[in-house]
Amino acid sequence: MIVDIVQTLLNGLAAGAAYALLGVGFTMMFGVMRRLNLSYGATLMFGGYLGALLASRAGGALPDAALVLLAAAVTVAGATLAGLYVERLCFAPLRGRSGVAAMVSSFAVWMQIEEFSTWLLPLHTNPYPAPFNVASWQLGALTLRPEHLLTLLVAVLVAILLHRLLRASRFGLAVRTLSDSPAAAQAVGIDAGRTTLLAFLAASTVGGIGAWLVLVADQQVTPMFGMWSMAKGLIAMMLGGLGSIPGAVAGGLLLGVLEASGQALFGPQIRELIAWGALFLVLVLRPGGLFGRAAFDLDIAAHQRL
Amino acid sequence: MLEVRGLAKHFGGVRAVDGIDFAIRPGEIFGLIGPNGSGKSTTVNLVCGLYEPTAGQILFEGQDIARVPTHKRLALGLARTFQNIRLFANLTVWENLWMAENAPAHQAGTSFLKRWVGGRSDARERITRALEFSGLAHRADDLAGSLAFGEQRRLELARALAAKPKLLLLDEPAAGMNAGEIAQLDERIRALQGQGYTILLIEHHMELVMAVTDRVCVLNFGRKIAEGTPAEVQADPAVREAYLGTA
Repeated sequence: MIVDIVQTLLNGLAAGAAYALLGVGFTMMFGVMRRLNLSYGATLMFGGYLGALLASRAGGALPDAALVLLAAAVTVAGATLAGLYVERLCFAPLRGRSGVAAMVSSFAVWMQIEEFSTWLLPLHTNPYPAPFNVASWQLGALTLRPEHLLTLLVAVLVAILLHRLLRASRFGLAVRTLSDSPAAAQAVGIDAGRTTLLAFLAASTVGGIGAWLVLVADQQVTPMFGMWSMAKGLIAMMLGGLGSIPGAVAGGLLLGVLEASGQALFGPQIRELIAWGALFLVLVLRPGGLFGRAAFDLDIAAHQRL
Repeated sequence: MLEVRGLAKHFGGVRAVDGIDFAIRPGEIFGLIGPNGSGKSTTVNLVCGLYEPTAGQILFEGQDIARVPTHKRLALGLARTFQNIRLFANLTVWENLWMAENAPAHQAGTSFLKRWVGGRSDARERITRALEFSGLAHRADDLAGSLAFGEQRRLELARALAAKPKLLLLDEPAAGMNAGEIAQLDERIRALQGQGYTILLIEHHMELVMAVTDRVCVLNFGRKIAEGTPAEVQADPAVREAYLGTA
């Protein structure tokens, strides 16, 4: 019994660690722009498709380890590059102006990137190179799966690096001044446009790493991945509170544990229902999220943006 | 030092600022006053670059900066405070100053790494001095959002000074202050002038403006209606009419 609970918790935390990275990327974009980037999932899917494309074209010619590492690099770089495209196209030209227009254009670009990705690889299911031909380890009665350990390790590493970047570096502080007061940030000499772009790219990279962790665990990528990763990122972000990075980490872990518990108790069909149910409950009971300010505060902030 | 020529800003059909001229001489305290909605705040936002003018020039030390982006104006020597305090609430007091004094635009020569990833040690001594000057040394590590109102005002001024500007724009610094605090503010503004700063003071509080400024420009409905020494402006019938509704 205890073993089952610990095992479920472990599975949940591992899945949740990847959700946390998806949520952190999403929420960072929101934090600096006060805009929802609807093409977020599509940019991650694009990265995943590039990894799968690499495997399908060059898979035979490369040793396994090299293929796995290259696919990781291509996926993260692809997500970041697609992020650059989205920021320049949808958000930079409308900075300080209509938030709705920026959001709508990011929706259009979502469709565009998704179409382009499926044009690259028209099959529904595409194998994604994964490093796990190792068997799971047994620790007493607990099963330690290699992809879970990888996810936890990478996610903790990324979280620590990001925390250092945002807390200690000038760049990180500049990003945070933009969330506090864009007008004052510019008045003290911070280039809002460039800082927003760099933060957006960093967020895309974090999201890309999260996406890679999911893909190597699944060992495949489908056209649903964009929608799926955005839903997970969105729920993680909203559970924790819009714009809060610690919130997104907590939200992602919570989501993972809730899903795993639901699945252990009621079977796999309940998984998605639990995720959306948790989001619904948090929005009704604590609209600002577990860590965030109330949503209307942010609404006011959005109107004051320059 | 700063000269504004034919400056105008229209929002749709509203002529918030409608062709004003004034010139600020080095070392003086120049007041900008006017009733609510007269265009004072719009003028400040034009001078510091948050708005782009519809027409006109803003000459700073002879260079037209009307279309220079805000973040580059700081490096030229133009810093401001805000009427409704805008601190970085989620940064500490120390970090608020660090962001301003160490602004990357200031150090065009230093490497990317040093500017953006570099440590805090270079700035430590200067910031300690600035904190002592503004009586905030004991709050250095507290979040700016947790400061009392008076402390927030002092931090905002310290943040503007940290950039070592030539011209300081004070946007209604007396807003929300009581008589005692205004007296202190009066002293502090004079002290800044003594230190060689040129000051553009936008203010509602008439006594403060009349006591502290060298020259005053009066705006009404986006136009300049008077300019001169405080005494001259007070005696001007157009100014009396704008403020009191009678000639």
